[in-house]
Amino acid sequence: MIASFFLQPVAMILLTGALVAAAGALVGTFLVLQRNSMLSDAISHSIVFGIVVVWLLTHAQSGPVQILGAALTGVLTVFLTELVAGTRRVKRDAAIGLVFPALFAAGVLLLNLYARDVHIDTHTVLLGEIGFVWLDTMMLGSLELPQAVVWMSVVTLANLIYVLMFYKELKLATFDPQLAAALGFAPTALFYVLLALTSTTAVAAFDAVGAVLFIAFVIVPPATAYLLTDRLSLMLVYSVLIGVASSLSGYPVAVMFDVSVGGTMAAMTGVFFLLAFLLGPRHGLLGREWQRRRGE
Amino acid sequence: MKARYLLLLSLLTLTACGADTADERPKVVTTIAMISDVARNVAGDCVQVTPLMGPGVDPHLYEARASDIKRLRDADAILYAGFSLEGQMANVLEKLGSRKPSLAVGPASFDESDLISHEDYAIDPHLWMDVGRWLQIVPSVTEQLVDIAPECEQAMRQRAEQYREELAALDGWIQESIASIPERQRILITAHDAFGYYGLAYDIDVKGIQGISTDSEAAIADIRDMVTTVVERNVPAVFIESTINPRTIESVIDGAGERGHSVRIGGELFSDAMGEEGTAGGTYIGMLRSNTVEIVEGLGGETASWPATLDGWKQRWEP
Repeated sequence: MIASFFLQPVAMILLTGALVAAAGALVGTFLVLQRNSMLSDAISHSIVFGIVVVWLLTHAQSGPVQILGAALTGVLTVFLTELVAGTRRVKRDAAIGLVFPALFAAGVLLLNLYARDVHIDTHTVLLGEIGFVWLDTMMLGSLELPQAVVWMSVVTLANLIYVLMFYKELKLATFDPQLAAALGFAPTALFYVLLALTSTTAVAAFDAVGAVLFIAFVIVPPATAYLLTDRLSLMLVYSVLIGVASSLSGYPVAVMFDVSVGGTMAAMTGVFFLLAFLLGPRHGLLGREWQRRRGE
Repeated sequence: MKARYLLLLSLLTLTACGADTADERPKVVTTIAMISDVARNVAGDCVQVTPLMGPGVDPHLYEARASDIKRLRDADAILYAGFSLEGQMANVLEKLGSRKPSLAVGPASFDESDLISHEDYAIDPHLWMDVGRWLQIVPSVTEQLVDIAPECEQAMRQRAEQYREELAALDGWIQESIASIPERQRILITAHDAFGYYGLAYDIDVKGIQGISTDSEAAIADIRDMVTTVVERNVPAVFIESTINPRTIESVIDGAGERGHSVRIGGELFSDAMGEEGTAGGTYIGMLRSNTVEIVEGLGGETASWPATLDGWKQRWEP
């Protein structure tokens, strides 16, 4: 019964989508609140550099070494961004814009120079295909499981543990970094670990949905949740629920219109955002109108 | 709770499977339609054959639709070109090979040493452009079809033999038609390197502006070289394909115009995909015929008379 469940293509597509959504929303909530959402975009691109370097060194196209390499590239991206921003002549957003295209370009260049016949082109990295995750399986004990489900479960669990263990510290570091530093919470370290986890999640999500759609899962559900609540704990829960709902509803919509499954899942995050933007009780357009009328 | 979720999943699966359950024939799915057409000609009514990549889809850049997932899942056998034509899709098809018969017809039908190798690309995969070569996939396709529909074996082998004869006749017709183009003008200029095998087989120079994959942008120097060739060889027409942005070719025409040579855009050629299903251009024979007619007429030649072996095709598609 359980074994056959893991061989069902549709079930595996939905499960992978839900896991990507949950993992993305957990880290995304903090990135959105820290006004660092675009770092997820930067990391997704500069990871190409990490993937190529790891491949050149070890010839591993996937697996734990690649994930470690990607996590380090993510940290490197953030480190370089902070370094450039630290000169105070370049604003943070511009610093992000300087660093990630440079790393991305270096990655593409290395790929063209040394890894032409290898199948890790930019297309593969940036556009995964969730429709086919059920094909790429591995054995876990006596269970045959899709690789994407295994890796995404590991990453989701890691993100969840980090958020639960350091909830109080993350909360303070997000809303009052000075106080957090004064209390000895090392907000910078917390921030770097968060971004290392984001990179790891990105690599694991590449095969499933691709980097571009992964960014949608990191940014849009938390931004949607932020329209609905001001409490961090609720925002985390709402983000995960909205992300998972986008994945689950994306599949039948893709079937209805016969289009790309991953693309539709990402589009659904936009639909939920739009709904919250229009109908949200406190920050939505209608809600604000209602409050204004009541105030008069 | 879990049971309810499973129920929901199976409902979703059922709705996804709602259509075409009545057809009990074995199913074959191919990537490009050129393989589908060969398989259909061999299979007749014995096997249901569907291509994933329809008219105008560039196989290098194909992305799966929701229904393609179902098609691949339900297929009894898969046929694809191989030699990296299908890009990242090839990985998926290779993995699928462990669950159901999945055949890369290119590597199965050809000796690599006979094929055109390319610096960026191990092997030029556009094998359908040479009819004399493409008919060599008929045996491997036939074997795969016989495996999944053994009750039709005799009829399928017969049809395979007949189809090979038709393709051989088409090959001769193209040869004769292209030879009618004056030698200096016998040069095919397109925006895509899909015509390497066509040029080799039918003795016509082929110049593509862009690299073999539609990924790379044409460099400005390449465009300038092309303009020089067009002016020097007095080329009357250059060609656009159905799957590519026509802008590159237009810049060549403008460049030649500035040097006082007028060159027109020849008719549209099929390169990576066939025409709409249900039209003459939606068959492999029709695709090659249409390309040859456009090239021969554009470059000042005259098409040969249509071979008698192919009268059946003509009556069906162009009555």
